[in-house]
Amino acid sequence: MRQHILDHALSILFVFVVFSIFMFIEQSYDETPTLGESSEFWLQQKTLDFSNPLHKSLFNESLNLFYPHNRAANDSLLNSIDSHRINRMKLSLETQRLKRGLSWEFSLDLLRMYISFIGIFIFVLFASYYATQVFAIISFIFYKQQASSFLKLFFQSIKSLGSELKNGTLHWRKILEILFLLVKIFSTGLFYLILFAPAYVVAYSFKSSFESGGYVFMIILGIFSNGILINYAYKFYTFLMHESRKGYVETSIVKGLKSSYKWNVYDGIPFRSIFHIRKTFPGHILHHIYTNAHYQYIPTLKHYASLLITGLVIIEMALNIQGHLCYELLQSILFKQYDVTLVIIFGIFLIVKTTEICVDLWYDHESRKYENS
Amino acid sequence: MIMKVGSMKIANINRGYNYFAVIQQRKDIRWWIVWFCGMMLLWLWDFNFLAPLSFQLLSTAIVYTFVGASCAVIFSLTFGWLLGMGMYFLEQGKYKNGKLPVLFFLNLIRSIPQIVLLLIGYILLTSLIRNQILQTQFEQLIWMAFVIGIFCSLEIYDLVRERISHFTKSDYFHAMLCCGMKESRIINIEILWKSSLSHVLHKIVSLFGTIILLQCSIDFIISVGLSQDVSLSNFPVTLGSLLAKLDSKQDILAVGTYLFDPWQNYQLLFMHLQGVSVAFIIVFTLICFFQIADGMVKQFDL
Repeated sequence: MRQHILDHALSILFVFVVFSIFMFIEQSYDETPTLGESSEFWLQQKTLDFSNPLHKSLFNESLNLFYPHNRAANDSLLNSIDSHRINRMKLSLETQRLKRGLSWEFSLDLLRMYISFIGIFIFVLFASYYATQVFAIISFIFYKQQASSFLKLFFQSIKSLGSELKNGTLHWRKILEILFLLVKIFSTGLFYLILFAPAYVVAYSFKSSFESGGYVFMIILGIFSNGILINYAYKFYTFLMHESRKGYVETSIVKGLKSSYKWNVYDGIPFRSIFHIRKTFPGHILHHIYTNAHYQYIPTLKHYASLLITGLVIIEMALNIQGHLCYELLQSILFKQYDVTLVIIFGIFLIVKTTEICVDLWYDHESRKYENS
Repeated sequence: MIMKVGSMKIANINRGYNYFAVIQQRKDIRWWIVWFCGMMLLWLWDFNFLAPLSFQLLSTAIVYTFVGASCAVIFSLTFGWLLGMGMYFLEQGKYKNGKLPVLFFLNLIRSIPQIVLLLIGYILLTSLIRNQILQTQFEQLIWMAFVIGIFCSLEIYDLVRERISHFTKSDYFHAMLCCGMKESRIINIEILWKSSLSHVLHKIVSLFGTIILLQCSIDFIISVGLSQDVSLSNFPVTLGSLLAKLDSKQDILAVGTYLFDPWQNYQLLFMHLQGVSVAFIIVFTLICFFQIADGMVKQFDL
C-alpha cells in the first residue's frame, strides 16, 4: 500500500514540476497580439461608423462612384474592413484576458469554480456508483428469473391476438395489455437512447424544457449520459455473473442458503433491499455473490473516476456555461492563456489522483477482511 | 488451447447453410446486421428527404468520422501491442528496472482524463496547421486519430499484458519453450494471435464505440468554443463538428419540443433531418457496438 501511495505522490510531484516549468516558459513569452492591417486607416476616420449600415452603404457607393471600374476591389475592401473590425474586437477581449492573467481576484474565482466542480464530481460519483449497482443487480436478477424482454412479450401478445381474433375470443384487456407493453417499449427505448447519448445531444434536446445552466441538470447529465453508467453497470453485471458460476455458490445452495430469485417471497429477494445504500441480502446466496463481485469492482472505480471527469468536462464545455471551471479552461485555450490552462488541468489531475488514492485505500481495507491471519 | 467455442458453432452452421439460425443464435452478428440495416435505411431516408447540400455534408461527415475512428483503432492496437510486448521483454531482459519509468508514465497518462489529453492534442494540431506542417484534411484527421490512438492504446496494453501473464503461468507456454520455439513467436503468434484473437476483437469493437464518442465530443467542443486562429473550414467535417453547426443545433433543440407531441413529432423526420440524423448515427452506433461487444462476450465466453 505504501508503494501505491508513493507512486501517486511521485506522479503528483512530477506533474507539478513539469507544469511549473511550462508556466515559467509561458510567462517569459510576452506575446502581445497585434493587428497590422491597412484597413485600420479607414476605421480611424471619425466621420465614418462602420457599425452603422447606412454609413457602410454610403461608403460603398462613394467608392463605386470614384472607382467605377474597380467594383470587385471596392467590395473586398469593405469586407476586409468588416473582418478587421471583428478582429479588433477579438483583440481587445484577448488583451483584456491577458492583462487579467492569474491575478489574486481571478485565482479566487477559479478556486470557487474548482470547489463547485469537486462538489459536482463527488455527488455524481456517489450517485452513479449507487445507480450502477442497482442496474447491475436488477439485470442479474432478471437474468436469473429468465424474464422475457418487453419486445419479446409484445410479439407474443400480437401472435396470440391474431389467434384470439380468429376464434372470436378477443377481450379488451388484451388490447390494453398490448398498449401498455408498447408504452413500456417506448419508454425503455428512450431511456436507452439517453443512457448512450453524448451529454451535449441530451442537453440540447432538453434545453428548451429545462434550465440547462443549473447544477441539477448537470448532475443528471453527468450520471446518465455518455454511456458511462450503462458500461459500468454492465461491468458490475459481468462480475456478478462470473461469481454466480463459481463452485461455492452450488455448495452454499446445497447447505441450505436461500437461492430463489423471485421478488418478495420467503426464500426470494425483497425488492426494496436492492435500493438500500448498504445492500445486504441476509441468508440469500446473492449476498455472497454481491459481496465478492463488489470487491472485484472497487479497483475499476479509478478508471471510472477519470471517465466521469471526461464526461463532466464535455458537459461544461459543450454547454458553454459561464462561471464553470471547464468553460474557463476552454476560454483560456481559446485566448492562449496557457498559465490558466495549466493550473486548471493540474487541478483536474489532482482530483483524479485523490480519487485513485481513496480507491486504493478502500481496496486495501477490503482486502484485509479477506486475508487469513 | 485455441478458442474453439465460436469456430465450432460457425462450422456447424456452415454445413447447414441456415443463416437465419446464425442470426438467431449469435447476438453479435444480429447487431452487426441491425447496425448496417439501420445505417442503410437512414441513408435512403436522407437521400430522399434531406437537402442535397446537407446530404453531401452528412455523407462526408460519416466517412471522415468512421475513417478517423478506424485509424484510431489501428493506432491504439499497434501502440498497445508494441507496448505490451516491450514491457514483457523489459521484464525478462537484463534491464528489469527499465520498466519502472515506463509504468510510471503509463499510470500518469491513465490519471489524466482523456478529453483533457485530446484538447492538448488539438492545441498541437492548430500549431502544426499554423506552421503549415499539416495541410490537407486527411493529414489533420490522421493526426487526431494518432492522438486518440495513443490514449486508447492503454486498454489494448492492459489486455495484452493480461493475456500474456495468463498463458505464461500455464504448462503450454513452457512446453513450447522446451520445444525450441522462439519466445517472441510464442507470445505474438501462439498466445496473442491464435489464442486471444476473440479477446482482441472484442476489445477493438468496444474501443471503437469509445473512440466514436471521444472523437465526436472533441470535434463538437472545438467547433462550439474554439478554432479562432485556424479557420473551421480547414478542418475535416465530422459528425461532431456537423452537430455543432447552428442548423443542426436547432434541429436537436426541436427534438425536445416535438418528442412528446404526437401530432407534431413527424416533423422531426422531415424538417429537422440534418441534426436528428447526426445525433441518431452517433447514438445508434454506440448502442449497436455495445450490443455487439456484449454478443461477443456471450459467444466466445470471454
